[in-house]
Amino acid sequence: MKPFDFFQPETADAAVDALAAHSPNVRILAGGTDAVVDLKHVPESPGLVVDVSRLRELKGIELTDAGLRIGAAVTHTEIMQDALIKEHAPAMIDAAHTVGAVQTRNLGTLGGNLVTCVPSMDSGPTLMALEAEVTVVGPTGKRSMPLDEFFVGPRKTILEKDELLLEIVVPKSNLGKPASFIKFGLRKGQALALVNAASALWIEDGKLKDVRISLGAVAPVVIRASKAEAVLEGQPVTEKLIDEAAKIAVTEAKPIDDFRASKEYRNDLIEVGVRRTLKAAIDAASI
Amino acid sequence: MAEITITVNGEEKTASVPSETTLLKLLREELYLTGAKLGCDVGDCGACTVLVDGMAVNACLMLAGQAHGREVLTIEGLADSQKFHPLQKAFEDLGSLQCGFCGPGMILSAKYLIDTNPNPSVDDIKDALSGNLCRCTGYTKIIEGVVDACKEIAGASEQAA
Repeated sequence: MKPFDFFQPETADAAVDALAAHSPNVRILAGGTDAVVDLKHVPESPGLVVDVSRLRELKGIELTDAGLRIGAAVTHTEIMQDALIKEHAPAMIDAAHTVGAVQTRNLGTLGGNLVTCVPSMDSGPTLMALEAEVTVVGPTGKRSMPLDEFFVGPRKTILEKDELLLEIVVPKSNLGKPASFIKFGLRKGQALALVNAASALWIEDGKLKDVRISLGAVAPVVIRASKAEAVLEGQPVTEKLIDEAAKIAVTEAKPIDDFRASKEYRNDLIEVGVRRTLKAAIDAASI
Repeated sequence: MAEITITVNGEEKTASVPSETTLLKLLREELYLTGAKLGCDVGDCGACTVLVDGMAVNACLMLAGQAHGREVLTIEGLADSQKFHPLQKAFEDLGSLQCGFCGPGMILSAKYLIDTNPNPSVDDIKDALSGNLCRCTGYTKIIEGVVDACKEIAGASEQAA
């Protein structure tokens, strides 16, 4: 690793001050499962590394007036073990369980997974299907936005160099919303997703309501399959309609061809993933 | 430079190292604890697994500064002076290791599993060890070793009760 200075701030404000003072020669470190690997390969010194992994403002999972708040530095293991998440957004536990392996989940953070912003991130689709919002903090204060506005492109978010992701909130209206996540990889442990899919929906008077479908690893960023959602909205549940929506979702994605899987195979996985997550969410809604 | 104080295998240690030092490098090159191995150096192989505050982590992915003030357990601290840990004993009895390079990480990942889930299923064991690669054994004897160690630990705690 190229030499750098290391700073562990006590507060988020102190972290932001350091980011602003050293920008652009500064980078944030949380769990390190991506960032430390990057630091080993950067050709130039990154300048200052600001470790936010133990900032109290970035920890904790709690219910607030806005919904279920998850600090950006909460680890995947903490998500898997949390009673509030189990009660209000259990699909997040399935998503967290697919990240890397035990050691990665013990260090890696939810915020880090989002900020790294690789298309195959495992946390994105479920949060997007649950219409999560994120709050970032910078020199001029805090701002919040829906998660889909946070993602800009592969490895690029809306964050400025002097801004920090503070928290993720699943809105109150979506707590307990039946949802399901599935990851297709080449194996279970330490695998990047070929396709990730998540669905969330309500069933009211036998009809689908507020259907949300999200896909990962099939476009430059995690996306919503809004045409497939629209086909389902307000309709009674039928096998035929679910099949139709799954086929439409394929048309909304632009998967790549690479050494892990062909575009055609990924398209097949999208259809299967959407169908299975819709069915699982419908099953959860019908209990 | 960073001044690091950590408790390693029950003993407080201090070291002055450059900020870009990983916990693995600190353990191996400053404290001469070479049980944790440098394998892939990117968090895929698990050969560097140690427990930090009881949690299995890849020491190659943690900066020494992030371990400051925390408790680290390496393979050197697992056995007491007289006796192997049941995992070490089971791995020895069953021949769970061949070249042994993955062993320290494998055993510490298994210890983390047993600490958090004393009665794991075979699927739980596979999940818990999915971040530890072994290129010799095919994993069967490793899994059997963990199963045996769990029985041994459960038996010992029954006797104690």
